[in-house]
Amino acid sequence: MSNPQRKRNFQIEAFKHKVVVDPKYADKTWKILEHAIHEIYNHNASGLSFEELYRNAYNMVLHKYGEKLYTGLVATMTAHLKDISKSIEDAQGGLFLEELNRKWNDHNKALQMIRDILMYMDRTFIQSTRKTPVHELGLILWRDNVIYSSKIRTRLLDTLLELVLRERTGEVINRGLMRNIIKMLMDLGSSVYQEEFEQPFLEVSAEFYKGESQKFIECCDCGEYLKKAERRLNEEMERVTHYLDAKSEAKITNVVEKEMIANHMLALVHMENSGLVNMLLDDKYEDLGRMYNLFRRVSNGLSTVRDVMTSHIREIGKQLVTDPERLKDPVEFVQRLLDEKDKYDKIISSAFNNDKTFQNALNSSFEYFINLNARSPEFISLFVDDKLRKGLKGVSEEDVEVILDKVMMLFRYLQEKDVFEKYYKQHLAKRLLSGKTVSDDAERSLIVKLKTECGYQFTSKLEGMFTDMKTSQDTMQGFYASHPELGEGPTLTVQVLTTGSWPTQPSVTCNLPAEMSALCEKFRSYYLGTHTGRRLSWQTNMGTADIKATFGKGQKHELNVSTYQMCVLMLFNNSDRLSYKEIEQATEIPASDLKRCLQSLACVKGKNVLRKEPMSKDIGEDDAFFVNDKFTSKFYKVKIGTVVAQKESEPEKQETRQRVEEDRKPQIEAAVVRIMKSRRVLDHNNIIMEVTKQLQSRFLANPTEIKKRIESLIERDFLERDNVDRKLYRYLA
Amino acid sequence: MMGVQRDRVRFNVGGKTFETTSTTLANAGRNSFFGALFDENWNLQPMNSNSELFIDRNPDCFAVLLDLLRTGELYIPPNVPEKLLCREAQFYGVLDHVRAAKWGQFDGNRLRLSRSITGPAPGDGTAIRAGPDGGCCVAHGSMVHVYDWIMEEHPPINLDFQRVNDAGWIDSESIVISACERLGTGDGGMGLFSSSAGELRSKFQVSHGDQIKSYTAGALAFSPDCKIFSSCKGRSNEYGVGVWDQITGKQIDFFYEMPGWSLGDADKLQWLNGYNCLLVATLFPRKDNCYISLLDFREKNMVWSWSDIGALTTFDEKRVRDAIAMEGSSSICVVNEYEDLGFMDLRSAAASVRWSSRSRLMSGKMSDEPCFPKLALHEGQLFSSMSDCISVFSGSDWVLTSRLRRGFGGSICDFSIGGDRLFALHSEKNVFDIWETPPTSVL
Repeated sequence: MSNPQRKRNFQIEAFKHKVVVDPKYADKTWKILEHAIHEIYNHNASGLSFEELYRNAYNMVLHKYGEKLYTGLVATMTAHLKDISKSIEDAQGGLFLEELNRKWNDHNKALQMIRDILMYMDRTFIQSTRKTPVHELGLILWRDNVIYSSKIRTRLLDTLLELVLRERTGEVINRGLMRNIIKMLMDLGSSVYQEEFEQPFLEVSAEFYKGESQKFIECCDCGEYLKKAERRLNEEMERVTHYLDAKSEAKITNVVEKEMIANHMLALVHMENSGLVNMLLDDKYEDLGRMYNLFRRVSNGLSTVRDVMTSHIREIGKQLVTDPERLKDPVEFVQRLLDEKDKYDKIISSAFNNDKTFQNALNSSFEYFINLNARSPEFISLFVDDKLRKGLKGVSEEDVEVILDKVMMLFRYLQEKDVFEKYYKQHLAKRLLSGKTVSDDAERSLIVKLKTECGYQFTSKLEGMFTDMKTSQDTMQGFYASHPELGEGPTLTVQVLTTGSWPTQPSVTCNLPAEMSALCEKFRSYYLGTHTGRRLSWQTNMGTADIKATFGKGQKHELNVSTYQMCVLMLFNNSDRLSYKEIEQATEIPASDLKRCLQSLACVKGKNVLRKEPMSKDIGEDDAFFVNDKFTSKFYKVKIGTVVAQKESEPEKQETRQRVEEDRKPQIEAAVVRIMKSRRVLDHNNIIMEVTKQLQSRFLANPTEIKKRIESLIERDFLERDNVDRKLYRYLA
Repeated sequence: MMGVQRDRVRFNVGGKTFETTSTTLANAGRNSFFGALFDENWNLQPMNSNSELFIDRNPDCFAVLLDLLRTGELYIPPNVPEKLLCREAQFYGVLDHVRAAKWGQFDGNRLRLSRSITGPAPGDGTAIRAGPDGGCCVAHGSMVHVYDWIMEEHPPINLDFQRVNDAGWIDSESIVISACERLGTGDGGMGLFSSSAGELRSKFQVSHGDQIKSYTAGALAFSPDCKIFSSCKGRSNEYGVGVWDQITGKQIDFFYEMPGWSLGDADKLQWLNGYNCLLVATLFPRKDNCYISLLDFREKNMVWSWSDIGALTTFDEKRVRDAIAMEGSSSICVVNEYEDLGFMDLRSAAASVRWSSRSRLMSGKMSDEPCFPKLALHEGQLFSSMSDCISVFSGSDWVLTSRLRRGFGGSICDFSIGGDRLFALHSEKNVFDIWETPPTSVL
């Protein structure tokens, strides 16, 4: 020490020592702080000076006693928490949770105050040494000394789970206390919440709902079961909002969904007398809606519901379209389809949330069974015919649109749209020529709909028919204006029909009465004079006539008849009795038509302006006909209908079918050529696929037919087979 | 009671009386001495006009801090040393308030030289890096000196004679340092150090084929999703760019260098968040040629690249000495040793440098001991260091708007912007400058 050099060094170190010097100082300061912590835990803090405690803690850190302060804090707090743990353990029965909650609140308050005192340590010493900050430390010590205490841990879990069970069985529990305790577990970290409560809670819940669902499924019907499941689900969600972590919602609802729905899905759907099919049959919107909303929550739930619904609709639909009873009345047939569609539309919209996949399932089911019956296109056209002839009278414009839209919807399901077109054309032609259509607007509206659905090509001929009607009116005006002398005598109304637009059959013109044929000749020369390069041929099988007749007792009637009928009746102006052979010779009407026409004139009660010998229902070749002088009718105008089968007869059906097939041929060929023109080379399967796709909007092309068309195109040098690969076709430009 | 303010508070600080309101003190925030003092837990005796609260602290500093809480402005009278004030602010827990009031939001065109600090190392600084809260670290050889925002020096980081290549801040407590591997020792690489204690916390390992290998870590870059990138040179030619997770410290990726290109020697890495790519630039004279590329780690793809291989080298002023990507204008800015700025379009695959003649400032007059120019980008302002000054370019056309020059200390070898401060390190004397934007005044 006497060494002067040493002395110099000593001076420098002396300053350092002065700061760290008195070890008693550190102990004394810590005693003050330790005492303060005791007082805080003992609710006796009012006598403490914050400023003094803060300064003391500051000084300890400043004088490098941070470590001492920190370890002291850990020890003191741990000791207090052990005492606290003891008092919680000692709490009797129901008071356990309340004591735990009270002590937790005390600890939190104390922790806040301790942190205030030790703020400087928190900020400096703890940061630079990377120790656990005071608040976090307080939570960890609480967790380790209280929650993980062997006498508290399982008791806490059991108590919480029992309270949940009691609430599930209808008891009222203290939710506020429950919320506080759960909040404490979450404050201690999400892993503490999960391990100490959530995980066991989910397991116990699964067990509970497994048992309950088993009980319910044995004693409840489907609707009742779903009601109970829904209530349970809502209860669990409510429980989460009241006192659990929001993140638990998905987990607990998952448990309920699995145990109550997913595990019993098939049993519920197929439950006898109350399952899905019964709900559908009885339009149980509420039950169906509930089923939808519950099943939506589990995987494969909705597809299960959808599959059962689909097979049910297909079953019902198949019965509907194949029941021979139903086929007797096409209008009723289509109406039943529409009713069925309405029923399921309503179910989907009011119970199935307008789910697109259900709508698609409904559509595909309808498409499936409507096409099971080859006559569906015809029937749908007949339904429209019926509606447009009489059904729409007195119906508002909006309602007309609704009906037409529904028809269009059925039309969309048809695979053979061209067959529909064929029938529609026939029916439309009849309506137009007989002037029977109720509303021009409705007719046109439907054509516009067809056009938007199938394109211009589909409706161009139908539109041509309307144009012809309009042009014919103008032509007739022009004809009579240029022939003023025709005021007297019979009136001729000619409808000039463009060949191709109308469903005309090549028919033999019958012999018209002289008066008429003269008039017709005049019209012919007028028409050909105004239009060059045209040819007129009379379709006497399609016309009508109004003729005045005077019967035996002088009573007069105006008869509304077909052109054929007129020709027959006019013969009786010159003779009283005519045999079948004579009539056939004079008129040259084709035998089948003539027979039908005579039948309607002589055999229909109330309309029998002719009398026949012998009296019988059918027309024989040896029959004789007389004017029925005894004919009476309370109406002045009498409409003599032709006996027509509203539905097509079997041979007619065959004929229409054949015509449809014939019309398809050029369309298939055109499609093949279009595709090959762009692809140049293509194999057989792909051609079939593309042609089918292209023609889908009109009809379902038959692969054998396509093959035939391709062969025909090869013959005509549009295509050739590849020399190497016989499955390949090449386009020949 | 009329006219008596209920929230008046009287303090006796170290013998001097102060009167203020609890409203003013509430500006300090709950996590301060005052916030705790007034918390209801502490059950402060209701004030009457005579009672006062004693605080055993320096009254002069209290006056300054009380004024700071009242106005938000910091005025330090000449008789109060700044260090003393900061110590007192630390006591009350309002140090952040002091820092926030000391300098304003960074603006390259309003910078004032605030201080110059002379460090202990004998010159030849490697790098200076600004910390997130106004501190900085300076790398010299195998030492890194760390300063907090008060410019108080912390215990230095000693790399045990491994040469430091780069450094970077993860947060105000942690610094990543990359170092050279010394031959035959198997050390080097990259480590995470405590900024306040200077201790090594963890090392970042590189493994190739499941084997941990020693390596030399070069330039560093950080991405907002907590990744660290470093150029790496392994001993068995395992060159490339490594990627680590900041939190776990684990290596998560490695982009191997392909033949004919340079990644492991890179001078500069820059993470481009909008492109989800890393800019890697290896420059003359570390290599004979310059290689700049953009790496996409997801596809292990070099999505953009440029090199001066094959370019005419007769005009040596066209050698690129630093590069920086500017995402806003989809371009890369480069600089040569005459401080000519050049630009490359990131959107064109075959990019070429478009030299800007306007930026040429130095033609002819080179200082005796030149430092290579460096570039930095901050909030739409471009900074370029050259000799003893830093130029600031602003606007979409990068017009020269300001120059920062102190006049002594020699050339600037590195500079860094962060924590609303610019730090410039001089090469000759071991000195660095702190540039700040003055705080906006109430007046």
